[in-house]
Amino acid sequence: MLEPMMYIGGAYKHSQLIELVEDLGGYILQKNIMQSEVVILMLVPINDLTIVETKSKELLGKLTRAPLSGSEIATIAPTLAYHHLPHLDCDVAEFLRKQGAKTNMIGLARGVGKRICEISAFERDLINEHDIAVFILGNYKHCIIEKSKKLYEGIEIPIVVTGAPELNTEEVPNATAYVGSFGRILHHMRHAEELRTLDKLSDVIGKVLDNVRVELAKDPPSVAPPRIKKEIEEQIPDIIDNLHPLPITLQMNGVRVKLPYKEYHEQIENIKFVEGVTMKEVARILPSKMRDFILIKALPKSETGFVI
Amino acid sequence: MDLIETFIVETPNDEVGAKTTRMLIQDTIADLSLTRAIGRLKVYVDPELPLFIFVALLRLGAPSIKVKDFAKVEMGALGKDEVRILVEQETHIGKLQNKLWAKYGKDNIEQPDRKIFIVKTDPFKDMDMLREMVIEEPKQEVLDRLIDAIALRIIPEGFRVRKHELTNDYVIFVASENTLKPEWIAKGKEILDFLRREDHA
Repeated sequence: MLEPMMYIGGAYKHSQLIELVEDLGGYILQKNIMQSEVVILMLVPINDLTIVETKSKELLGKLTRAPLSGSEIATIAPTLAYHHLPHLDCDVAEFLRKQGAKTNMIGLARGVGKRICEISAFERDLINEHDIAVFILGNYKHCIIEKSKKLYEGIEIPIVVTGAPELNTEEVPNATAYVGSFGRILHHMRHAEELRTLDKLSDVIGKVLDNVRVELAKDPPSVAPPRIKKEIEEQIPDIIDNLHPLPITLQMNGVRVKLPYKEYHEQIENIKFVEGVTMKEVARILPSKMRDFILIKALPKSETGFVI
Repeated sequence: MDLIETFIVETPNDEVGAKTTRMLIQDTIADLSLTRAIGRLKVYVDPELPLFIFVALLRLGAPSIKVKDFAKVEMGALGKDEVRILVEQETHIGKLQNKLWAKYGKDNIEQPDRKIFIVKTDPFKDMDMLREMVIEEPKQEVLDRLIDAIALRIIPEGFRVRKHELTNDYVIFVASENTLKPEWIAKGKEILDFLRREDHA
């Protein structure tokens, strides 16, 4: 069992921590160096957590649990007009990013209105490629409830809805969770109260993700997503020159590789693991709806009969 | 926000919605610095119909600025087709220069001194027109910003069927997702009357 952790500390000697985690069999998901500070998102084997904690204390850094890391979250606004952007949507997306998630912002083409809102097949497929969909809705209870009845049609991933009124999740149709005190806010969220609301949202999303992890553990993927990431990094050198943010984005049961599907899918399918299997035996390599990227979904144990 | 004498957001059965909408309007008005332009304001929202009515009494103040307000316009040198403009207030020089350049072209404007413009044109034909030329229209600018605030930022996006009345004294915006009913428009007028009564009280 791997535990998602975040390390914040000085850049000095941080490579020692990285080496330790790798030696313990953990994975480094992301490393950001900002001037003299470094933020590392990593997966650490739960039994060796104390060793990593001791090391981070020695380096005078801070080690916290980052339940959102290793997930890709879609933050969805009804449109990309001034009504929704930049403030609230960007605040939510940025806040979740700080907690370790990779967020993508999606503006629907015709998501406005209570009666007239629609979602297209393309948008639905694109959203379904993520781990969680966060719908950022508005001020009125009636509108949120009415809209929820039809807007999420066909979305198979957990749906978290935000809005102004304090509602119970049961009152919002089709939603996995609901978080209140948001609404249509046209200023940067920086007051203590608003930051608490954002904290609440990340807590709720963390819980939803934990549930997803529990569900996944019942029939675990044949290969862990961080392992896929590691093998791609080692066997496809072109990924190093890729300029996209997070060229290999981790998801709960797969990864998104930001390389063109046509040119690279065969290479990826033929990646070899030391256990003697190739990538196409343990995962589905699919064209992503996002640009011409590649989406890799690990096959569950029940299909392959083994876990590497 | 103290400058707005009446500021009501009314929503039947949804106090939280009204509160959030009020905050949203405050933010927008502050962003576009419209606080001084709006005297009284009432918003009625019924999400179940759905209906959004925005009524405000305006205090536009400042009239438009014409050339004669800050400059002397006179005949140029004897025997030449020229108009001489002597500017008395420096603040408007930039805008006047741009207007003249746009109208006559750079070749036809001479500026021997910072405050003197010589326009090569027939003085008998153009002198009166130049005196009355509008350099700046603060009112129009405020109205543009007001429309930006109401139509593009405050009224929810889904409310695409809209009717508005905009004058120098007031603005009424009625918006909905469905076809507008006459009684909704009448309600907008009622709210306007209410605000006017408040104004006279």
